[in-house]
Amino acid sequence: MTLTKKDVRKFLSEYKIVALLIVIAIIWAFFGYLTYDTELGGSQFLTPRNFSNLLRQMAITGMLASAMVFVIVAGEIDLSVGSLLGLLGGIAAVLDVTYSWPLWATIVLVIAMGLFFGLMVGWLTAYLGIPSFIVTLGGQLAFRGMVLGLTGGITIAPVSSDLKFIGQGYLPELIGDVGGVLLFLVLVFLALRTRMNRQKHNLAVSTMPTEVGRLLFAGIIILGFVMTLNDYQGVPVPVLVLLVILAVFTIIGNKTTFGRHIYAVGSNMEATRLSGVNVAYVKMMVFALMGLMCAFAGLTTTARLAAGTPSAGFGNELDAIASCFIGGTSMRGGVGSVSGALVGAVIMASLDNGMSMMGIDTFWQQIVKGIILVAAVYMDILSSGNQRA
Amino acid sequence: MSDYLLEMHDITKDFNGVKAIDGIHLQVRRGECVGLCGENGAGKSTLMKVLSAVYPYGTWSGEILWEGKELKARNIRETEEAGIVIIHQELMMVPHLTVAENIFLGSEPRNMAGFIDYDLMNAQAEKLMARLKMSDINVALPVYNYSGGKQQLVEIAKALNKNAKLLILDEPTSALTTSETKTLLNLIKEFKANGMACVYISHKLEEVAEIADTVTVIRDGTHIGTQPMAELDTNKIITMMVGREMKNLFPRETHAIGDVVFEAKNISCWDVTNRERKVVDNVSFELRKGEILGVAGLVGAGRTELACKLFGCWNGDHEGKIFLEGQEISVRAPRDAVRLGICMVPEDRKRHGIVPLMGVGYNITMSVLKRYTTGGFIQSEVELAEIQNQIIRMKVKTAEPLLPIASLSGGNQQKAVVAKMLLPEPKVLILDEPTRGIDVGAKYEIYKLIFELAKQGVAVLMISSEMPEVLGISDRVLVMGEGKLRGNYVNEGLTQEKVLAAAIGQPATEAA
Repeated sequence: MTLTKKDVRKFLSEYKIVALLIVIAIIWAFFGYLTYDTELGGSQFLTPRNFSNLLRQMAITGMLASAMVFVIVAGEIDLSVGSLLGLLGGIAAVLDVTYSWPLWATIVLVIAMGLFFGLMVGWLTAYLGIPSFIVTLGGQLAFRGMVLGLTGGITIAPVSSDLKFIGQGYLPELIGDVGGVLLFLVLVFLALRTRMNRQKHNLAVSTMPTEVGRLLFAGIIILGFVMTLNDYQGVPVPVLVLLVILAVFTIIGNKTTFGRHIYAVGSNMEATRLSGVNVAYVKMMVFALMGLMCAFAGLTTTARLAAGTPSAGFGNELDAIASCFIGGTSMRGGVGSVSGALVGAVIMASLDNGMSMMGIDTFWQQIVKGIILVAAVYMDILSSGNQRA
Repeated sequence: MSDYLLEMHDITKDFNGVKAIDGIHLQVRRGECVGLCGENGAGKSTLMKVLSAVYPYGTWSGEILWEGKELKARNIRETEEAGIVIIHQELMMVPHLTVAENIFLGSEPRNMAGFIDYDLMNAQAEKLMARLKMSDINVALPVYNYSGGKQQLVEIAKALNKNAKLLILDEPTSALTTSETKTLLNLIKEFKANGMACVYISHKLEEVAEIADTVTVIRDGTHIGTQPMAELDTNKIITMMVGREMKNLFPRETHAIGDVVFEAKNISCWDVTNRERKVVDNVSFELRKGEILGVAGLVGAGRTELACKLFGCWNGDHEGKIFLEGQEISVRAPRDAVRLGICMVPEDRKRHGIVPLMGVGYNITMSVLKRYTTGGFIQSEVELAEIQNQIIRMKVKTAEPLLPIASLSGGNQQKAVVAKMLLPEPKVLILDEPTRGIDVGAKYEIYKLIFELAKQGVAVLMISSEMPEVLGISDRVLVMGEGKLRGNYVNEGLTQEKVLAAAIGQPATEAA
């Protein structure tokens, strides 16, 4: 059987994530080739050190994008996350530097503040009916104003080494290895349990070799990931946090009523309401999750810079939104995945990282990223056959 | 030269090897109206898409002769230029543009400077409306001021403006009132007399019988037959459509009627935008266990508004008391209603019934998703098993249980929506136009289900604009008109005339 254009299109629309991974491979091969260094005898881009850097760079965008996916899937938008990140990071810096709070207390308060602001934005949108575009545009201005007021427009430094660890630290090699093995065992356990449950309910199951092949593939990816990072300094703490977020959010999206309702609300809010779902509550909680992720990202940003700065998080909302769209989230709501958005974030970070390494001016970097965003969404439209006649 | 305006010969169109239509013929003479009948999914729309070049020449096989010459149109513009104009089931109006702007959308007359010549446009629009005997419409007002029926006529004016020689009407009356339908049918007859041809697609076979000269029936994509209407009647058409004799459209079954389970007292609702206008005016009624209560009335009688109020989704002001099993209940949102055991299948399936991008199965389990969770996590296997049960029980035709529901035919979507509203095991089930726009076969399934539910003791409130349906299904019939309850009859010896008279507000004719 020959592979027709239609088959390719069908494959790409069903396995969007595969298409995105191919794009990453192409980008990495491209930069790997261009940064080839004869003295080193290898590429500067494709080193464990740079891989570790790249993941640390994308961690903050990734945290925001994880929750932004749900916001966009629910048919809303959040333009305030960059400013809110700045505000929460600023609060963390002030508590840590000026008041010398212990780390746990700083984290608890910042998370509480994140949830509070998220709930507020969600309440204004879902219960008062103000469009989220407007609420969060206002939030973008107001939160940034609060950061400036809080910090007095100056950098607050130096933060404690405890706080620094969550942005700059690495896991010891051994913990990374053990974590990798545990993750693999959990995957095996889940696969077996699903298999047994499906058989119990007389549902079709895939053949044993397919199952084993799939698990082996996952195992190799985990092994490669941990070994590469351990080859440099170990798994960076923010990357670990992001992986946990990925797991938790994927479970929320696929395995909880809340997650199912997010997708339903975004696809047809009226029909969802008439099915007896509390749609306003669903929308509000989506913004609460977004606020929570702003707290995580804010703490990580302050820890990474080892300081609270008034401009922290500036423009981050756009990176997060772009990651979602590159990762296959639909503008019209109802479609999107956390893993897709994180792959989108990796694509963005790879472009940043690769172009910086080649010494390309920042202005060019922005132009290229802009073009990539538009092109990626166009590819998505082409592959889903959704273009207007 | 042939005496046919349009001849379609041996039209076959396949999608990935699956033949949607296979060897269909359709011929239309000048001044003739051809009725095109078939169940949902029979291939009517596909055939019309071939004709109007939504599927361009070359993507299908067969031959189209237009005025004796072969037509090889590549897009809709070319077929419209030839004089083939299609009017879709859903109105394609831009609500905030004026009537004239809508008519001339895409072909606006322009003056020397290149700006729209509004005087000329409005004058021409008025002329067109006069031809449709609709001179009372102000062409400079936004279209949203007018009812669905008037908008349908504006749509026809748009077609006339394009110098249509062949008008294709796809379910034109599905949203029209009886009098609006009459106006439309009279107009088509007049067009016929003036030499215009038309293809009339409708599930309402009485209408087809009234205006069609010839009827073509297709089933499962194949040509079943073409006969002059004079040799046919609606029963014969149904037999051709479904391929078997449908002796009894309404599979009545006896069911016991129990005690009063639901009671609405002094329900009133006010319009959402015009807060002074009452849309439901002091309506009270009782509903018994296992009873099927039909609600008849003309479009705009306030029936949907009443159902919304009972289900907790009326957005305007409202008052009145609701009792369930003797207890007064407060229903402030649909979720209250579902929790208490009142479910509703809404009238507008696309807007209020389905979540289009989600799988059929996930649509079905939406209201009761919590049931399949343990510790907050959905047990996919338990859910999937229940989904398969429901799909089999409701005879939903879908290739996979998690295929997006939007890709199913209307009848199957409706079955899924009904399944969704049955899973919460309601004591009271409100069905608002449950068979609108679905084919005879799916209708039959839904009727059977209604009787089955009644037998199980569910109280059913069924709103319908199809009089035979109300009379064929109900144990008792409420008649509404202008928001008021105008009749409450036990369905014994009840006639369409009596119900209609009550709906219009002439109870005096009862004696006649």
